Amino acid sequence: MQELLKNIVWLEDDNPVLFAWHQKGRAAFKEFPTKKTEAYKYTPVSEVLTPEMLNVKSHVKDDHCDHGAHHLPFDAYEFCFCDGHLHRHFHAGDDIEVLPIDEAVKTNEIGAYFAKIDLAQYPFAALNTAFLKEGLFIRIHKTPQKPIVFLYHNKNRGFKNIRNVIVADKGVKAEWIEMFEGKDEAYFLNIVNEIFVLNEAKLTHHKLQHEGEEAVHIALSDAHVKEGGQYQSYAFEKGGKLVRNETHVMLNQENASARVNAAYHLLRKCHIDTTTNIEHLSENTRSDQLVRGVIDDKGHGVFQGKIHIAPDAQKTEGYQIHKALLLSDEAKVDVKPELEIFADDVKCSHGATSGDLNQDEIFYLESRGIDETSARQVLVNAFLQAAFDDVENPDIKKLYPSD
Amino acid sequence: MTNKTPVLEIKNLCAGVASQEIIQNLSLTIYEGQVHAIMGPNGAGKSTLSHVLTGKPGYEISKGEVLFKGQDLAKLKIEDRANEGLFLIMQYPVEIAGVSFMTFLKHAINKKRAYQGLAPLSAPAFIKLVHEEADKLNISDDMLKRAVNVGFSGGEKKRMETLQMALLKPSLAILDEADSGLDIDALKVVSKGINDLNDGKRALLIITHHQDLLDYIEPDFVHVFANGHIIKTGDKTLAYELEAKGYTDFIKEASCKSC
Repeated sequence: MQELLKNIVWLEDDNPVLFAWHQKGRAAFKEFPTKKTEAYKYTPVSEVLTPEMLNVKSHVKDDHCDHGAHHLPFDAYEFCFCDGHLHRHFHAGDDIEVLPIDEAVKTNEIGAYFAKIDLAQYPFAALNTAFLKEGLFIRIHKTPQKPIVFLYHNKNRGFKNIRNVIVADKGVKAEWIEMFEGKDEAYFLNIVNEIFVLNEAKLTHHKLQHEGEEAVHIALSDAHVKEGGQYQSYAFEKGGKLVRNETHVMLNQENASARVNAAYHLLRKCHIDTTTNIEHLSENTRSDQLVRGVIDDKGHGVFQGKIHIAPDAQKTEGYQIHKALLLSDEAKVDVKPELEIFADDVKCSHGATSGDLNQDEIFYLESRGIDETSARQVLVNAFLQAAFDDVENPDIKKLYPSD
Repeated sequence: MTNKTPVLEIKNLCAGVASQEIIQNLSLTIYEGQVHAIMGPNGAGKSTLSHVLTGKPGYEISKGEVLFKGQDLAKLKIEDRANEGLFLIMQYPVEIAGVSFMTFLKHAINKKRAYQGLAPLSAPAFIKLVHEEADKLNISDDMLKRAVNVGFSGGEKKRMETLQMALLKPSLAILDEADSGLDIDALKVVSKGINDLNDGKRALLIITHHQDLLDYIEPDFVHVFANGHIIKTGDKTLAYELEAKGYTDFIKEASCKSC
């Protein structure tokens, strides 16, 4: 299995700062996780990756970025990645400070906000660090007038690593949207986001993932939330061959809160893994997770959701619910909720359900003239949209499934 | 009667669930503009009739036929029956979380229009149309924005059923009240909706075991239903006779016409 490792051509940058990070990442990356790796037992990534997908040079750098491919229905700060390469001619305003990550790591400012991830625990973050070069550092100084949008277009095969760092300064309210689109080529996108929500700030993070049918997409969002800060994450996933969307939130200080909602719609032999780990590390913290999956054909959904409550995190509330619709006999879902509670004065719950569409609801719609295919579509969208009910910005809400 | 077209013709119908015949040799013809009431005791098979007519999965016709505006109903899919103009006011309308009434109505109206070869209504025209009808039924904007029937009272559900009927303008509406307790206020609204709709081209079939309903919607014909078929037909005075005497005497006289 670890034959794969031999196919990697490691990056060796001339710049000493980058070189040091590459060495560090490489040292931390031991092997690709397999079925035997507990955190990946339902999602054995190594079985899907091919030598070709690990080739960092199989795609040429393409400066022609398809900006026009996306017509966002609202004004936004737009940043574009083509096949993993950041389009470096971008416009920033005075409310946000933007630097390419390879430049940012050479400055002092990013210091406190970079590489805060335990690389031993997150093998793909180690791998990502070994290829540190592309990505953005954004520091949001003031509440921006418009959402920040990252567009990722993947047209060619090969290995793409992206590392972003987003810092929402004290009291700032911001919306950040990631949109992934890809052609049906065998590529491997490995993306790591380090997110810092400072005191009383609120960052809403949206993700719309529609990778190509042959893509492997591994994403880690690692968020740190300070006193009174709010991190809200919404994800809709419907593409890719194998996808892992992992969210790790640390509610570091009092009154920090997190909302982690996701929905996925699986067709063909698509495999989508939603893994969360919410750590309540201080008193009066709160988290809410609502994940909904619709699995059709031979799709395989995975949900691993952990709520960890530290001994000092009294008066904490943590809630988690996963609901799945299985629409075919071969559809499959694995659900692993975990509660680790070390404090005694807490409110905590988790729940999981799975089932088919309700036949009486289908009949009701049909009896009003709506054909079965449309009726099922209406009900599937209604099921999925529950994950996005709370999205506050109506323009952004329209990007998600709705009734 | 001669200048009228039958909307529904049921001929020697035997139907039921799985192998159990519940409707036995039922025959009934309904013409445009007529109001028919089928009355009978619980367990007589009244609800089965509405399920068979709308095509609810699991209900099968074993003998006889049903013609709806001249077409063999058994050959029409559920949605096509609706788009041809069959509408069931359900006894217990289903709650559908996550689908707002407006979205649901838009789908229903535009599917019917597509069936008729018409373009979908524009958003403003749709909203105007719904609000016009909703106002007549005292249905608020808030009710229209909520998910289909979710958390609605029995009366509110009936009003929403009536709204759908008013918008879809069926040729035949079936009011299934086979065993639900009657809410008089809801009944008034529904019956007003039905009476408003009846422009002489539409027909109505009421299925009930209460005669109270018939105080609000005046039937042209009352049929007593037992043992899976009609055992006696009369005008609305038959309903009062039923009220006075109960079903037992009628059933005793009835013939058994099993399939």
